Amino acid sequence: MAERVSYQRLPKVRIRELKDDYVKFELRETDVSIANALRRVMLAEVPTLAIDLVEIEVNSSVLNDEFIAHRLGLIPLTSDDAMRMRFSRDCDSCDGDGQCDYCSVEFHLNVRCDSDQTLDVTSADLRSTLPNVCPVDVAHRVLASADPNSYDSSDQRGILIVKLRRGQELRLRAIARKGIGKDHAKWSPAATVTFLYEPQIHINEELMETLTLEEKRAWVESSPTRVFGIDPSTQQVVVVDPEAYTYDQEVIKKSEAMGKPGLVEIYPKEDGFIFTVESTGAIKASQLVINAIEVLRQKLDAVRLQEDDSDFGELSAHLHGGG
Amino acid sequence: MNAPDRYERFVVPEGTKKVSYERDTKIVNAASFTIEREDHTIGNILRMQLHRDPNVLFAGYKLPHPLQYKIVVRIHTTSQSSPTQAYTQAIDDLDKELLQLKKAFEDEKNRLEGKPYY
Ligand SMILES: [Zn+2]
Repeated sequence: MAERVSYQRLPKVRIRELKDDYVKFELRETDVSIANALRRVMLAEVPTLAIDLVEIEVNSSVLNDEFIAHRLGLIPLTSDDAMRMRFSRDCDSCDGDGQCDYCSVEFHLNVRCDSDQTLDVTSADLRSTLPNVCPVDVAHRVLASADPNSYDSSDQRGILIVKLRRGQELRLRAIARKGIGKDHAKWSPAATVTFLYEPQIHINEELMETLTLEEKRAWVESSPTRVFGIDPSTQQVVVVDPEAYTYDQEVIKKSEAMGKPGLVEIYPKEDGFIFTVESTGAIKASQLVINAIEVLRQKLDAVRLQEDDSDFGELSAHLHGGG
Repeated sequence: MNAPDRYERFVVPEGTKKVSYERDTKIVNAASFTIEREDHTIGNILRMQLHRDPNVLFAGYKLPHPLQYKIVVRIHTTSQSSPTQAYTQAIDDLDKELLQLKKAFEDEKNRLEGKPYY
């Protein structure tokens, strides 16, 4: 057997912006397949918690039971423990009815309107049996109220589920379970995940200087996004923001229309990507990236060949199947 | 009503192997790996990693049908290697790359969070 050499890459990361629900970073020295796998896993395979089973006791509201159950499912829940939890279908400590610490979190909702004013039933009315699992907006407000420096938000009402008039009532039990976006979009922790190829822009300075200032302006203006600008002192065309380029080819078409093809050359860098990740709040955006890498590793581990898949296994199958 | 269950897309049915391996009957050092309940996410990274191996003459994957939740990875190698060896090597290398990527990301995150907030 030939000596095992590694063809492994050493990707580099630089985070540009980091907030709880937003991260922008550069990924370098790897290829698109990794970038795209990460994007796909963040969208559809990083687990979170969401309401999946609803038992309605009383519903005299104007919305039917399944309509309300669907709305409850779409409320994002804080899911920091989701990676450690079990999927209900894999759980051997319960029968999936919700009374299980390994795979479920129970919620109760009990609201009745007794006044002439319309009553809003919101995510804030959901009572969780676990303090660290609650609607994302509720958790956010608890944090904000603890911080005296935070600005007072006028919208303190939570996510609207249904409105009740006098005499109407909603009483239910809801079970949140671990799941992935591939199963249902309500489990997706990602609001948006995008990456772009870093554009490499080369201006042909010599050819550019054959243009009058008026022509330069027209050329710069031909780009729908502000990629280029004119240096006020030297009157040279300069690249203002390469990442604003949307690969629309407009400046290239303009160069050709002006009879000056080759004014600029733009091509995507094959090994540099700029990621933008926005989270629903279920987990932090940075945690979403880390979890995605971990999920991808688990997926790879699951597709390894087992002992009996090797040539040895094939040989023994040959021997047994020979008769 | 008769729609398949959603979990069909990612739960390997009982009695089915996650990965099965079939040697090509006509070409030496060529084989197909059928991976159940996987898609482009795994297929494409495996293929691209296999292309980095100089002993791999051919590596490709297909998703035979959008409603058949499996992919087929085909590998042809030189006599210096074998499809199973190349396959395992590709997974090992990808795993190491991801581990390093995770560390790089966490280091960056710590660097940013260590800074005073402004
Ligand atoms: Zn359970």
